[in-house]
This record gives sequence, C-alpha cells and structure tokens, in this order.
Amino acid sequence: MNRNRKRTAAAVLISVVIIVLALYFLQRLLMPKYMTDVVEGAMVAEYYDEEKDHDVIFIGDCELYENISPVTLWEEYGINSYIRGSAQQLIWQSYYLMEETFTYEKPDVVVFNVLSMKYDEPQKETYNRMTLDGMKWSRSKIADIQASMTEEENFLEYVFPILRYHSRWNELTWDDIKYFWKRDKVTHNGYYMRLDVLPAENVPEGKVLADYKFGENAYYYLDKMVKLCEDNGVELVLVKAPSLYPYWYDEWDEQMVDYAREHNLKYYNFLKVTDEIGLDFNTDTYDAGLHLNLSGAQKLSSYFGKILAEECGLKSRRGEAALEQSWKEKCQDYEEEIERQQKGWE
Amino acid sequence: MKIRKILAITLSVCMMGCAFAGCGSDNAAETSKGDAQNAEDKSSASDDAETKGESKGYVFETGGVEIAVDMDMSTLEDKLGEPVSYFEEPSCAAQGIAKLYTYASYEVDTYPDGDKDLVASIILKDDNVATAEGIDLSMTKADVVEKYGEDYEESEGCIVYAKDGMKLKFILDGENLAAIEYNSSVLD
Repeated sequence: MNRNRKRTAAAVLISVVIIVLALYFLQRLLMPKYMTDVVEGAMVAEYYDEEKDHDVIFIGDCELYENISPVTLWEEYGINSYIRGSAQQLIWQSYYLMEETFTYEKPDVVVFNVLSMKYDEPQKETYNRMTLDGMKWSRSKIADIQASMTEEENFLEYVFPILRYHSRWNELTWDDIKYFWKRDKVTHNGYYMRLDVLPAENVPEGKVLADYKFGENAYYYLDKMVKLCEDNGVELVLVKAPSLYPYWYDEWDEQMVDYAREHNLKYYNFLKVTDEIGLDFNTDTYDAGLHLNLSGAQKLSSYFGKILAEECGLKSRRGEAALEQSWKEKCQDYEEEIERQQKGWE
Repeated sequence: MKIRKILAITLSVCMMGCAFAGCGSDNAAETSKGDAQNAEDKSSASDDAETKGESKGYVFETGGVEIAVDMDMSTLEDKLGEPVSYFEEPSCAAQGIAKLYTYASYEVDTYPDGDKDLVASIILKDDNVATAEGIDLSMTKADVVEKYGEDYEESEGCIVYAKDGMKLKFILDGENLAAIEYNSSVLD
C-alpha cells in the first residue's frame, strides 16, 4: 500500500514536471525573438550580459538608443557607458529600469531623455512588450508591468507569456528555432546603429495642442527619478535629443528648464545647439530627422562626451586593463557592423 | 494501472497544450503585428459602415470632396491634389508609417492599416476652410456650441463632440478657436 502510494506520488511528480517543461519549451518557442525585423524588442535583455561597472547609463526611448554611440564616448573620452533603451519607452518604464539598474550598479551619471514626458498614460501593448518581456523578474519588473498595462492587457499574460503568444504557432519561422536558446546581440552597448541616409525635408511644425502642460503622472515619475538618483548618489542629467520630429514645443522645453532649475539638475536641449554639434540633417539622419544615423550619433556623442567629462566631472578610464580589453572587442564588433552595413548596400 | 492513468492524463494535458497553442485566432497574432491587426479590425468595421451607407461621424468637405476619418487615403489623394508638403513618420520598431499631407488650409494625417493608409485626423488650420456645419477658425466657442449643441465634453483647452466613434475637437485659445480636428478612434 505504502509502496503504491510512493509510486503514485512519483508518477504525479513526473507528470507535473513533464507538463511544466512542455509548457516552458512551448512558451520559449512561441515568444517573439526580435532578431531580424523588429530588433528593438531584444534590447532590454542585452544589458544583463554586461559587466556592470558603467560611468554613465542612458535611459529612455529611441532618441537615445539611436542617437548616442557609447563607442564614441569610450574612444574620445574614456567614458564607459550603456544605453538602457527601448522603443517608445515611457517614463514609468524608464523609472523602473533605472530602479532595477541600481540593484546591479551605481553609475556616476544617469541620462534621461525627456521626450517621454509627453505621455501620461499607457500607450500600446506592442511597445510595452518590447520593454517588459526582456526584463528579468524583480519587484521593479512587476511594478513596471502594473504601471504600463493598457486596459486590454492583463498581468497574467506577462507572467505566462504563452497565454499571449499561443497564436503565433502559424507564424513561426526558422528564427524561432535558431534563437530558441541564444540570441545575437543587436546593439553596441545599447546603441542601435544605422548608416543609411534620408535627408530631413518638409519636417512639419507642431500641431496646435489644447494643453501644453505635461501630465501629473509624467511628473510623478520624474519626481521619483530625482529621488531615486539622490538616494543612490547618482547625478541625474536631463536631455532632449536633437530629433526634429516628433515636434518638441517651446512650452514643453520651458517646463523642463523650470523643472531642472527647481531640482538643481542639468538639462541640455540639443535641438538648440545642432549647429554647434555640427549636425547636418541632409547627411546625419536616416529617416528624415526623426533619428540620427551613425554619422550624426557620433557627432552628438562627441559633443555630449565633452559635457560629461567637463561639467559632470567624469574621468577617463583609459588604462584600466580589463576595461580596455572589453572595449577593444566592442570597438571591433562596431567596426565590423559598419563594414557589414556598407557591404549590404553594395 | 493507476500510474498508466496518470501518464495518460499527462499526455492528454500536453496534447491539450498543443491544441491550445494552435487555437490561435488571427486577431491575437504576434505582438509586433498586433497594432496593425487591431487597425485592420477597425478598418474592416469602417469599410462595413461605408458599404452599408451608415454614418461615418462628422466629415470635412473641401472642393466637393468629402473626407472622413478612417477613409482610405488612396481614394482621396487624386481628388485633393498635390499637397503643399508631405512627410512620413515611421514609428519606432517598424510599427508602420504615419503620413502627413499638408494642404493650404488643412492637414490630413494617416495611420497604417496593412497595405492601406487610413485617415487618422483632419486638422483645419486657418479660416479659409470650415466644418461641413459651417464653423471656421474666425469663430468662437459660443458659435460652436450654438451650432453643435450642448452635448460635448470639455477638458483643458478644448471641447469635443463624439459621433460614431470619431471625435470632432475644437481647440480653444480663450474663447476663440485655435484649431479644429477630426480624429479617428485609433488616436484614443
């Protein structure tokens, strides 16, 4: 009798293990891999493979991960930086990514791009997924999901993504097999490289808005960022990237200038110094002024690196053997990608 | 015997799992395609509405051409003529391209829906054009309320009339009108 019970218990246990494993593998197979068409969904997870000893962490949307090149910051200023970026990253997502980052490391400076202040409520599941699915489970991720979900989403689908992705079975491609276990890197320390050129023409003026004030929720999370950085002894620097569109209103800029002054923060609106940076929107953008291409990103990084070194007091870490070696490899990957993209055109 | 039963149940659960994976409906596809799919669903609804001759909400008329939100822009481009300027706004992470057609006194913005571009919003920018009901930017909030009635929602700096899912928004500068927008529900 006792032996029978043990055998039954063992069978039940084996069954549970089989079911859990089957569901796990199925889930892993069905989740989007973001390796070819929409690589932006793979960015957040890449950070975890990094040696976490950065001087600067950039946190924000495409205006950072397409406009700043950490390789340039290293090569010209010896600054070790990383971009924790994702597509349409909303301010509460930036906050929770920042909170999570501080559990791994305390950089000297965190740079936040303020475009996302324009959003006061959750936007689209597609973008939520690109930021949230890549995060490791933590209190920050749970809070981030809760802050980000649209009305149509539910928390359980984030805990068990198979509930969301089960219908992908008829869209599976070879990539889903190829990247079942391991993903390729899609960025260079968070930087998404583009070499192509599409001059900025006919960039529209901003539409008349009913209300130019940033929302309460956006300010709530900006306040939390300030507090979090203060508590962790990290300098928070606000920037507005020199992207020509979406339109950045003077009324918005004034609010950021005021906020920075009231909270003793540095705020740089690079739209106001595009000539000083040397940006030429005939050659330095790949999508008519929305994002910079490599040439533009290198110019902006070169300009901002000087500010980080001189005004934020970041010292060059050139000469640290392990870091030099790590960046040597990264710079090589970077150069290879430049060659790859150039060859792609030929 | 009991163990065989348990294993049989396990096998069944796994098979159900596979069946569950395969039960996918088209409108819950890969998340990166989800928005386009949602837009497609909305577009189908709007197409249905048009074919049945149902109301499309408030519409804007210019030069004998009627423009409603969610209309296929390809059916309008020739009729509206060459825009003063045209701009494409690709969304981050390849989620489609929004297009902005600027004409002399108004602007038409589109959103992607599969291989179509549907009208997301129409924005009246000066008083050379007016709504079909006769309101232009030289008028006041009081004129709008007199024409459209009291059934509106008011929020900071604007009043909004809803009809058939779309919204007609009058943006105010004090008591005067600063802009008039016809907005599709995709912008909600």
